[in-house]
Amino acid sequence: MRIFIFVVLAFIPPAFIGWMIQQGHRAPAQVAVAAGKPRASGAEADKTLLELFQGELGGAKIKDKVGLYDEKGLFDYIDGAAPIFIQRHYRKLAAAEMASADGADMVCDVYDMAEPANAESIFNAEKSATAKPVTDFPDAISGPMSFVFRSGRYYVKLTAFDAKAEAALPGLAKALKGKMK
Amino acid sequence: MSSNGPPGPYDQVPAAQIPKATQTTSAQSADTAGMDRRAALRVGATAAMALGSVGLALALRDRGSEKKTRALPTIKDHRAEKPAGATDMAIARGPDPAANVRKVIEALGGMGRFVRRGERVVIKPNIGWNRTPEQAANTNPDVVGEVVRLVVAAGAGKVWLTDASVNTAEQCFARSGIEKAAKAAGATVIRPDASAFREVNVSGKLLRTGDVLFPFVEADRVINIPIVKQHGLSLASMSLKNWYGVLGGQRVKLHQNIHLSIIDLAAMVKPTLTIMDATRILLANGPTGGSLADVKQMDTIAAGSDEVALDAFGATLLGLNPNDVGFIVEGMKAGLGTPQWQSLKTVELGG
Repeated sequence: MRIFIFVVLAFIPPAFIGWMIQQGHRAPAQVAVAAGKPRASGAEADKTLLELFQGELGGAKIKDKVGLYDEKGLFDYIDGAAPIFIQRHYRKLAAAEMASADGADMVCDVYDMAEPANAESIFNAEKSATAKPVTDFPDAISGPMSFVFRSGRYYVKLTAFDAKAEAALPGLAKALKGKMK
Repeated sequence: MSSNGPPGPYDQVPAAQIPKATQTTSAQSADTAGMDRRAALRVGATAAMALGSVGLALALRDRGSEKKTRALPTIKDHRAEKPAGATDMAIARGPDPAANVRKVIEALGGMGRFVRRGERVVIKPNIGWNRTPEQAANTNPDVVGEVVRLVVAAGAGKVWLTDASVNTAEQCFARSGIEKAAKAAGATVIRPDASAFREVNVSGKLLRTGDVLFPFVEADRVINIPIVKQHGLSLASMSLKNWYGVLGGQRVKLHQNIHLSIIDLAAMVKPTLTIMDATRILLANGPTGGSLADVKQMDTIAAGSDEVALDAFGATLLGLNPNDVGFIVEGMKAGLGTPQWQSLKTVELGG
C-alpha cells in the first residue's frame, strides 16, 4: 500500500508539469466539422479545379493568377463566411479576378464542395430571397451584380462591379459549367 | 485514514503532522518507529518535489509570455471625457450620407468634443472587401470622406486612415472608393503592408498579444466607422466587430471563439467616437456579400461613444434581437456599454 501511494505521489509532479505546460500553450478549440463523406484526393482534385480556369471562358480572361484556399486559408478570403462552407465538407476554393472581353472587372469563385450534395446544400443556404432563377440554366440564380450556380461538386459565385461586367457573367458561367461535365 | 490501528505515514495526514503522530504511538517498536521516520522523510521529500515541480511548471508556463508582454506597448484608452448634459447617441436619417454625418456630429456637440487641435487621429472604416459601395460590404466612401473633413476641420495634427483588409488591400482600398475619398479630404492612407504593424500587448481573455496597425499605437484619438451588415458566424458585423481590422496575421485563429475575440479587441482599442454607417446594409451572405439582392437602402447614420449601444441599435436594423448577438451580450458583461440604447440620452434626426 505504501509503495503504491509513494508511486502515485511520485507520479503527480511530472503529470502536473505536463498539464500546466499544456494549459499554458493549449491551442483554442477548432471549429466543429461534422463527420462527412470522404473527400476527393487532394492533388488530382486541385489539378481539376485549376483546369476549369484554362482555355475559353466566354471571352473573359484571368487578370493575375488563380488563388487556391484550403480550410485555414478560406478565413483569409471570406472571413466569417468560411464556417458554413467548412461545415458542408468544403474541400478547396479557386478564386480569380477576371476581366470581361471589354475590360470590365469581375470575380470568379469556384468552391470544390467534394460531393454534389454539399454543393446543393450551400447553394440552397446562400440563395438570396430576391434572387431570380435563370432561364435555360438549371440550379442557377442571378441577382444584380451576381450570378451563382452549382454543377456536380462545384459551387460557383460570380460577382460583377458594373453593368458591363454584369452582362458578361452568364457567358462566363456557361463556359465554366461546360468544363465541369 | 486507515480504519484499523494508528494512522500510517502515507494515510491522508498532513505531512507536517506525521512525525509527531508516530512519536506518540507507544505500541510501535523502535525499528518500526525508525522506518516511519524514514517514510516520513520520503513523504516530505516527495511533497517538496511536488511543490517545487508545480512552481517550476508555473514558471515555465508564464515566464516567456510575461517577459514578452512586459516589453510590448499597450494601446492607450482613447475615450474622451463626456461634458455634463451632452448627448450620448445621435441617429440621423436622410438620403445624403455626408449630411447625416454632419447632423449626428453636431448633435453630439461637434467634432471638437472628440478631437483637439494638434492631436493625431486614426480613422478606421471597414475596407475589408473587394466590393463597390453599392454592394455594402465596406463603409460608404461618402461617410468616410465627411468624417475625415470634420476631423481635419477640428484641427487634427495628423489624420491616418487604415484597415487590415481581408481581400487584397490594393483592390479593396480602390474598389471601395474609400482611399480616393479619404485622400481628397486630407487623410494619410495607410495600407496594411507588413511594415505597418507593431506587436502590442492585447491582455485579453483569449488574445494576449497581437500585431496591430501602427496608427493605433501612436494615435491620440481613434474614430471607428463600421458598416452594418449580416455576418455568417457572429450574426452581425458592426462597431465591435470592426476591430478585427486592426490586426494582422491569419484570421482563422480569431474565429474559434469569435464573440470573446471581438470583445478582447474592443476592450483593447476603446475608441474616442464611433460613427456607424447604415446607408446601405447587407442583410444576407455577409460579410462578403456581392449580390445587390442582399442589400437594403437604409439612409441612416448613428454615432456615439458606446459601441455596445450602437451595435444594439444596428442589430435592430438587421432584424436581430440584440440579446441574441453574443458579442453584444459579452460587451455588456465586459463593461464596454449598454445594449439599452434607448436608456441613453439619444437624439433622432430626420426621416
